[in-house]
Amino acid sequence: MPKVTIDDRTIEVERGTNLVDAATEAGVQIPHYCYHPRLSVVGQCRMCLVQIDGMPKLQAGCSTQVMKDGMVVRTDSPEVREAQKGMMEFFLINHPLDCPICDQAGECGLQDYAFKHGQAFSRFQYEDKRTYPGRERIPLGPNVVLNMNRCIQCTRCVRFTREVSQTGELGFFNRGARTEIGTFPGKPLDGPLASNVVDICPVGALTSTRFRFAERVWYLDKRPSLCTGCDVGCNVTLEHRRGQIRRYKPRANPEVNDFWMCDYGRSSFERYYELPRLAAPRVRRDDRVVPASWSHALEAVHQALAGGGRTAILGSGNLTTEEAWLLARLAEAAGPAAGTQAGETPAVELPLAVEQGPRWTIPNPSGGITGSGDTTPNRRGAELAGFSTAAAEGLLTGTATGYDVLFVADSDFGSPAHDEAAVERLRGTARFLVVMGWAETPLARAADVVLPVATHAEREGTFVNVEHRLQRFETAFPPPAQVRPATDALTDLLAFWDEGWRGARVADVFARMAAAVPALAGIEFEELPAQGVALATGGAVGAGAGPSGGSATVHTAEPPAGA
Amino acid sequence: MAFEPVLTRNVGQPEARTVAGYKKRGGYAGLAQALKMQPDEVTDAVKASGLRGRGGAGFPTGMKWSFIPKDPDKPKYLVCNADESEPGTFKDRLLMEHDPHQLIEGCAICCYAVGAATCYIYIRGEYTAALATMEQAIRDAYDNGILGRSVMGSGFSLDLFMHAGAGAYICGEETGMLESLEGKRGQPRVKPPFPAIIGAFGAPTVINNVETLANVPHILERGADWFKSIGTDERNTGPKLYAISGHVERPGTYEYPIGVPFRTLLDGCGGVWRGRSLKAYIPGGASAAILPGEQFLDLPMDFDSVAKAGSMLGSAAVMVMDETTCLVRAVARLSKFFNHESCGQCTPCREGTNWMELLLTRIEKGQGREQDAALLSNICTHIAGNSLCALGDAAVGPVKSLVETFLEEIDEHVRLGHCPLPPQPVFEGASH
Repeated sequence: MPKVTIDDRTIEVERGTNLVDAATEAGVQIPHYCYHPRLSVVGQCRMCLVQIDGMPKLQAGCSTQVMKDGMVVRTDSPEVREAQKGMMEFFLINHPLDCPICDQAGECGLQDYAFKHGQAFSRFQYEDKRTYPGRERIPLGPNVVLNMNRCIQCTRCVRFTREVSQTGELGFFNRGARTEIGTFPGKPLDGPLASNVVDICPVGALTSTRFRFAERVWYLDKRPSLCTGCDVGCNVTLEHRRGQIRRYKPRANPEVNDFWMCDYGRSSFERYYELPRLAAPRVRRDDRVVPASWSHALEAVHQALAGGGRTAILGSGNLTTEEAWLLARLAEAAGPAAGTQAGETPAVELPLAVEQGPRWTIPNPSGGITGSGDTTPNRRGAELAGFSTAAAEGLLTGTATGYDVLFVADSDFGSPAHDEAAVERLRGTARFLVVMGWAETPLARAADVVLPVATHAEREGTFVNVEHRLQRFETAFPPPAQVRPATDALTDLLAFWDEGWRGARVADVFARMAAAVPALAGIEFEELPAQGVALATGGAVGAGAGPSGGSATVHTAEPPAGA
Repeated sequence: MAFEPVLTRNVGQPEARTVAGYKKRGGYAGLAQALKMQPDEVTDAVKASGLRGRGGAGFPTGMKWSFIPKDPDKPKYLVCNADESEPGTFKDRLLMEHDPHQLIEGCAICCYAVGAATCYIYIRGEYTAALATMEQAIRDAYDNGILGRSVMGSGFSLDLFMHAGAGAYICGEETGMLESLEGKRGQPRVKPPFPAIIGAFGAPTVINNVETLANVPHILERGADWFKSIGTDERNTGPKLYAISGHVERPGTYEYPIGVPFRTLLDGCGGVWRGRSLKAYIPGGASAAILPGEQFLDLPMDFDSVAKAGSMLGSAAVMVMDETTCLVRAVARLSKFFNHESCGQCTPCREGTNWMELLLTRIEKGQGREQDAALLSNICTHIAGNSLCALGDAAVGPVKSLVETFLEEIDEHVRLGHCPLPPQPVFEGASH
């Protein structure tokens, strides 16, 4: 591998690495706007100019590759600084400088580089700024708004639609100082990947319709998380303000979603604010269900399960792998009734409810990753824990009845939870109904015991995506007062049988699970790499199982335009 | 001086526009000669002649041809740059309108030398007459076995196509032209890779100017030594067309040995008009630095001498300005052109040309400030060498010379608060 020296730091890089990337490896930041590692190199913002020994002129770092040993690069010489100062001035002379009303403020490439490489005064005082009258708030599609006055013509968005989403909605129109970005007549920017152009826009020219004016970004707390929209498992940064999720932004993971995610996934958190929340545990007293303490509620559940009758625990793909595995332990604890002969069907069943929706494809370096159509992120994790979609059919269609206890682990597991007739049918299958979840649904209202647990943002754990990649996400903020993460509730419940479960953290649960599940052998929760771990599938579940892949109910959501 | 026109010998001879008439006047002898040689020998002959590109950069033509890979796994192309758009330049137009076969012959020789089977002539869209003449001549050439499956019976096959531009100066920049030829938005590419490796349609491509290719048949026919006998020195050889415009009695295209003194050019076109005196001239098109007239009256008009004088020969479009010319106004107009023609992709050119036009217009209107000259100079520094293609440098050329050589004109505008010279209706009315 050739050696390159950047600001006196010599490193070896792969032949053909461009100088912006090479500098990053050497720990030097070369400022840039138009360059993006997944887009073609156009060298047009001229912000990444560097000095190379033996070259008469400054060279664009993005379009200069390290091909052989001995290249000596300076990114901080007086010439480079002067050029950077000049470029910053060029960017800003016609920029509206409307930061106080601009959504991008706080995460803006112009602000950052102006601070670092610019000057504090303007020499453009006697001329009028170029404006694009009538082009200050143009909806390019349902989710993206263009303010042409703020654009710096880097064409990242144009190249994204041509090269990554391959939908080609955006173009570069007119010429020179009048150059602008736009859509073609009758062809809005409405593909499933449209909002990615907002993320890659280095300035406030492209903003998100949903996020516009919702929050100043410097008030946002950010945590690494995973999208729950489907089983692709896009890595996201969950951004919230005091427990209000404001947006998901894609977090780069070349093995999964690369730098991208779909618009559907971006809005998936909105469900937490559309449905009413379960605020406290409830227990049936005579013919009424009344608020109760956690210990009272868990005791009621324990009593029901310990009765030894016919029991089913209905799981969903919204559970974390740890939650699903704890439920399976619960089934084990509740166990077959005393005196059951070996080889008989266990009395506690673990059916898994899965719904089908649109299939999303996210481009990545290995060609892209397509969801199986599951509307939940973790069917494979639940299956790993022992849940089975095949077992759910009878329960959901109402043909299997006569249960003593039905424990539904997700009050929002799918459309039957919201349908009064389906709820009644489900209620009729069991004598005693326990519902755990975060959402107040018709199903939760029908329960004998309700256990309010954390939303996705309030818990931590792992998901296994469509390609059997195990990924971890963190707690973004704590749940409300009477609400607990499901793992806490379940370990407390398990402690009725085995005191050793009390106080187990998610990492402890994972460790015990990894020791028991061969596919997870040797994996440590705290050490899980940022890109996740590809699990040996063991042929249990085929990747990308279609709509008929053993799901209990096939419910196809409205396909999005252009999906 | 006993200089016999070479490139323009068929100008005003309508019969030369047919294959038969062109041959009668000695044409296609160069191609016949080339086809008898090995392709490498043809390139060597052009190398030996010292021919340098006539489009503006003055790059040695034979060397450019030799950069084309010998055995690529892709087809090779010749693209003839006939997108003559530099203000003041109109030499290629003359060659295409009056002597189309000279260009076809030059193209054919080049294609034979580099092994290209396809040639495109990218012609400026406004050149409708030249386009019609060229297309007529190409049909005639196909009919007479000059083009097509077997060029002059040699077995070497060649297709030649005309492609008309749509009115963008930037498509005269070679990679912008390739983008446009491929049907994309005409804007320059990042270099490297250079067109010799990745050019038209991703394949190795030679790009030559019309006048450059028009020289080639004569080199083959009469030899490199003859060619080298014309001109100032080893590095500046051959005949050269000078497109003279501005304040002269008889503007037009004139052919001289390269390196002829400016005084000879001026005398040849009748001198400065209306008996006025010379103030300044631009030696090589709108992007060249303006030279003070009297000081450089005897400047040899070749690549190296003009460069040494601080300007450039460029396309040899000579614009003469008399004593009544306001240079601030002239440069403001040139800046307006570059601002209008900037493709807009790279920052220094897009923003810088716009700023320069605004600034110069304000100075010309008498609203300049003392610090504006220094500001202009600094803007030039930020554009020059930092833009993606040469258009940024081109736009800087005249502005820089205004600030460096004619600074007192700016100062006078600032001091007086108005332009010292009377308004010219042509400036106010001219809008590109």
